[in-house]
Amino acid sequence: MRRAALLLRKDLRVLRRSPLLLAVLVSYPLLIALLLALVAGYANAKPRVAFVDDDNLPETVEIGGRTFHVERTIRRVSDDVVLVALDRDEAERQLRNGKVVAVVRVPAGFVAQLKAMQRSPQLELETTRGLLASRVTQQMQALVYSLNRELQDAFIDANLRYVDLILHGGEGTFLGRRFDVLGLERAQDRVRDPKVREFIQVAQLALDQTDDALEATANPIELRAVSERGRTWALSAQVQAHALALVTTFLAAVLAAAALAAERDERVLQRLARGLASLGEVLASKLSLAALVAAVLGLGVAVAFGVAVEAAGVEGGEPWSRVPALVPALVLAGAVAGALGALVATLAREARSATLVAVLVVLPVVFLGIVPREAAPAAGWVSDALPFAHEVRLFDALLYETSPWNTALVEAGWLLAIGAVLVAGGRAQMRRLTA
Amino acid sequence: MIHARGVSRRYGAQVALHETDFDLAAGELVALVGPNGAGKSTLLSVLAGALEPSTGSVERRATTGWAPQRPALYGRLTPTENLELFARLGGAALVARSDRLPERPAAELSVGQRQRLNLALAFLGEPRALLLDEPTAALDDERRAELWRRVGALLADGGAVVFATQLREEAERADRVVHLHGGHVE
Repeated sequence: MRRAALLLRKDLRVLRRSPLLLAVLVSYPLLIALLLALVAGYANAKPRVAFVDDDNLPETVEIGGRTFHVERTIRRVSDDVVLVALDRDEAERQLRNGKVVAVVRVPAGFVAQLKAMQRSPQLELETTRGLLASRVTQQMQALVYSLNRELQDAFIDANLRYVDLILHGGEGTFLGRRFDVLGLERAQDRVRDPKVREFIQVAQLALDQTDDALEATANPIELRAVSERGRTWALSAQVQAHALALVTTFLAAVLAAAALAAERDERVLQRLARGLASLGEVLASKLSLAALVAAVLGLGVAVAFGVAVEAAGVEGGEPWSRVPALVPALVLAGAVAGALGALVATLAREARSATLVAVLVVLPVVFLGIVPREAAPAAGWVSDALPFAHEVRLFDALLYETSPWNTALVEAGWLLAIGAVLVAGGRAQMRRLTA
Repeated sequence: MIHARGVSRRYGAQVALHETDFDLAAGELVALVGPNGAGKSTLLSVLAGALEPSTGSVERRATTGWAPQRPALYGRLTPTENLELFARLGGAALVARSDRLPERPAAELSVGQRQRLNLALAFLGEPRALLLDEPTAALDDERRAELWRRVGALLADGGAVVFATQLREEAERADRVVHLHGGHVE
């Protein structure tokens, strides 16, 4: 590999002499990452919302004589957002690092308060800042509104039954106490009767609660929004993982393609083929270049991101201890993207157009990776055969998962397999070029 | 020093070189002549090992230096950097000087200067056999004379040189002239 190292050193020297090219190669994917994450995050994907159940919600809740299925209600919310059941600490952690854009919390005593119908229980909604958060808030408000309408009917029925009880008498319960109620109709005949006096007392008690009960009827559940505790959207996990993957894919692929295309264009491959360097060594030098540059610039992006998070005074944030784990991932991702670029450079008919072809190939690779699987399953399958989506998942896991290693190993395995196929294709094509 | 047997070379459907035999002996200066597209450059590239023959075989019994018709070098590297890199890749012990060429990227050199660098790369590692494709193209008189002096010194030392040319007076320097036409040796 001594000769591959010599060629790598040469490529790095050439790169150092092209600062403008390097600046464009770095800034362009960052810009694209920002735009894509904006579009993907706002328009396509369902926002990820944490659901914290501090009340241990039962399967069904009976209110005002009606049965409500909690599971069905949660499923209905899931039509608009990806609802993830988490414990309180994990939800807070994910909100801080941007993995979820909001946390919906059902506080302890929620169902009891709802059943009591005295005052409105509160669902708590914590959101991050930015467009997604406002979208989630709107969706949660819409959900609470539709729930309120259903509960309103139940509450009105219940209240009508109380009114009926007051009018006609009978047995009833209120605040958990059972009463045998005479009713106003019968009370008229027994004004001096002690039961009438009791009825009057109960009626007074009930009337005392009328204000709260009516308020609860109009607005059974309140949504109390506690916003702006998490990361801004721009500093979210989604943007960082996409930015890293995009910088890596774009930079490594285009760089490897450009370096190999330059050697084709300058007709140096034929000189190297005279026993100076094998095709494998030439390819290895391009993959090494891609991996090295991806690692350096990827780390730069990660550190810049971390500094921005610190500077913005965002609560939480990922521990810096995860950054070293990013290095081998960046090297692997860079090498695989480099293999893609090298293959493109050898497939391009004209050496001079190889770099442009690489850009044209990389962009759809990236777009396929961000199309939500729910929107187009076929795009997901195709994307599985390409490096970008795996890079996103790998970086996301390494930076933000509590236990990232299973996901990281699976995605690294995918990348290795894809890389092996690309390298084999690149070698075959290079053999064709020099044969 | 070099023996080619039944060598042919195709570019897709086009046959650039038909089953050709060629031998280069020690101390021999051979000129390849023929019209454009005759197959001179292809034959030299195949003899140099820069191109794989489609059929046939080439045996090289000596170290070879090769100067293609269009310089094959890194445009972003200076002449010295090009020489150093190829010397190290070839395992040459001695790194050649840049032949007094300006130390700026090769892409920014004049055509003649690039050709001088191209020739300097051919002489790297002190090869015993040289394969030069129109080596004097774009060279001034002084550089041409210098080239032929170096070629003469190599021949005197038992080396061998084969070169392609369009110029009759250059072909007349050769011990043997090989005529190529349409990929065939005539």
